[in-house]
Amino acid sequence: MPNQSGSLYGLTILSPILNDEKATPSHDLQIRLYLASLYTDERGPFALAPLTHLTRLVVMDDVIYVGAPSCEEHTKFKYLVWESNFDGDLDTYLTTLAKTVPTQIDTIWSHCVGYPGTSDIAAFIRYMKACQLQTTFYFAAINNKTVEQALTAIQTQKAVSDFVACHQGMEPAQLQQEFLQFVEKLRAQPVPQRGSAARARDIKTGGHNE
Amino acid sequence: MSKLNATDIQGFTLRGYNLPVARYLFLEFKGPAAGKSLLHQLLGKVTTGQRWEGTKPDSTLNVAFTHRGLAALDLPTATLLTFPLEFQQGMKARAAILGDTGVNAPEHWDPIWHTNRVHAWLGINGKSIAALDACQSDIEAAIELTGGATLLGYQNAAAVVIEGQPTTGEHFGYTDGFGNPDYLGVERDSQPGQGKLAKDGTWLPLATGELLLGYADESGELPVAPVPHLLASNGTFMAYRKLHQNVATFRAYIDEQSKHYAGGKEMFAAKLIGRWRDGTPLELSPNNPDPAIVADKNQNTNFTFANDPSGGRCPVGAHVRRVNPRDGFGFNGGLTNRRRITRRGLPYGDYVPEGQPASDTDDRGIVFMALNSSLARQFEFVQQQWIQYGNDSHLGNEKDPVMGNNAGHGRFMIQGDTTPTNPPFLCTHLPNFVELRGGDYFFLPSITALGMIALGLVDPR
Repeated sequence: MPNQSGSLYGLTILSPILNDEKATPSHDLQIRLYLASLYTDERGPFALAPLTHLTRLVVMDDVIYVGAPSCEEHTKFKYLVWESNFDGDLDTYLTTLAKTVPTQIDTIWSHCVGYPGTSDIAAFIRYMKACQLQTTFYFAAINNKTVEQALTAIQTQKAVSDFVACHQGMEPAQLQQEFLQFVEKLRAQPVPQRGSAARARDIKTGGHNE
Repeated sequence: MSKLNATDIQGFTLRGYNLPVARYLFLEFKGPAAGKSLLHQLLGKVTTGQRWEGTKPDSTLNVAFTHRGLAALDLPTATLLTFPLEFQQGMKARAAILGDTGVNAPEHWDPIWHTNRVHAWLGINGKSIAALDACQSDIEAAIELTGGATLLGYQNAAAVVIEGQPTTGEHFGYTDGFGNPDYLGVERDSQPGQGKLAKDGTWLPLATGELLLGYADESGELPVAPVPHLLASNGTFMAYRKLHQNVATFRAYIDEQSKHYAGGKEMFAAKLIGRWRDGTPLELSPNNPDPAIVADKNQNTNFTFANDPSGGRCPVGAHVRRVNPRDGFGFNGGLTNRRRITRRGLPYGDYVPEGQPASDTDDRGIVFMALNSSLARQFEFVQQQWIQYGNDSHLGNEKDPVMGNNAGHGRFMIQGDTTPTNPPFLCTHLPNFVELRGGDYFFLPSITALGMIALGLVDPR
């Protein structure tokens, strides 16, 4: 199944954006404005709702003509492109989003043609599936771990690295004792919040959200 | 194959002169007419890439300009606007993307860089201080005659002298200056390991356009260059960086950390860089320095990393492996070939031998100059992605252990193996061993282009 890689699902959705000449600012700009205001950490909608490994929302205005020998083509609509990697099956995922972050989802998709809203979950799922493209050649870097397992693995990696830094060269008996305590403490740690794993970098690469 | 006209290319672009002392003068032009008149006076003194028959000259002279300098010489706006953006902006404006922050931020640079007055770099290399003085006197006479510029200041540099002999050493005690890339058409003594890796394991020269504007680069394209073509062709771009070295901090760190490292102090020092202090590559001799390898041109740059993926010999994050990963990222080195730079430069400040007291505050370091056809694609990429970040090496946010802006919380993993004398070891609390004290981006034009600038003949139409 092309949309599936291991336990992960690769979703691609293209939703046509309303083309209303009277709307000011235009619907595509309204989506852009709202997307630019979204948090990308624990407070983002796809972190508030479970299941998402990574996701991307892009407004695609048109196909850009790059010069001969290509031929000039245009899309009929502007499109909202939504790509997402998540755990489990599509129906469960869409239902979870509709129930957890309905305001954010509706604010984004209310600018799209034929969007029924999240209040009628069956209609919402039908709409999304109608806009879905098959994700061919889907590749997931980690395709056998849930979001929670991946977050725990990152937490463990950092904790072990910190443990090594503090205990290097310690006498074996004491090291073993401290390691056992460390493992116990680590096991008791809650799973890190979704969206919390990305550490701030002190170098800029030019992105809008830096 | 590109056929190069060495007499039209500045000597500094084509080769390290291997002269023991240098002085870099920084000029501010006083108006376009007088500035061009000064350049006209200097034209005949500029050293070309032509091979020296017999003995070396007493001194050499080369010239490069900042974008502001070219504007001060009244180059047409239509030309000025065609220079690559990063060169137009200058190095100070690129501080955030280069990771030149914290102690490396522009407010901590030498005063000469605080204003935007540096228009030109005049590089003098010489056999002796007297030779540098003589060349500088000639330049000052030309300045006096034309009123074309103010000498804002200068930077002295010199090969580290040990037991009376100039060496290729640097202040941390490593032998430096192994291997610059080979380029198609550039005549020099080359050796295996200096170009790009061929499928059969031999080394080939890189495309000329990785160094010189106006020639095809590794992707078969012409590098982004200003118009007219004649202004750009046979020229290159230079990143000039004055790198202060905290020798006391470095020595104290090595002493302290290596107490806990079973491989010993010298192996610890070697793991940071990827070469033993005498220059022996860890990949070729992981257990001890080997003077025979250092002396052998067929060996001292002839190594790869693909057979050491875990970093057991040369750590994955070691300096030489970061700045020139060779085939370490797979694809037979294909991901490295468009990120190569040619390095020039010399140490400055007095060398303090091991065992004698050294201070961080002494003015001591290295003048580092990188030459490349694209500052953004080559120098800036290496600096940002490979020195100040670790993702390409699967090292997350870790930075270069020696060059990185580590600010006291850097980490560096010596991967090691199961041998008791080569254990895994995690270095923590890495400070800034090196601090940036200033610099800028310069355009190092061809001899023809220098003439065009001096004579006001740059015409973009």
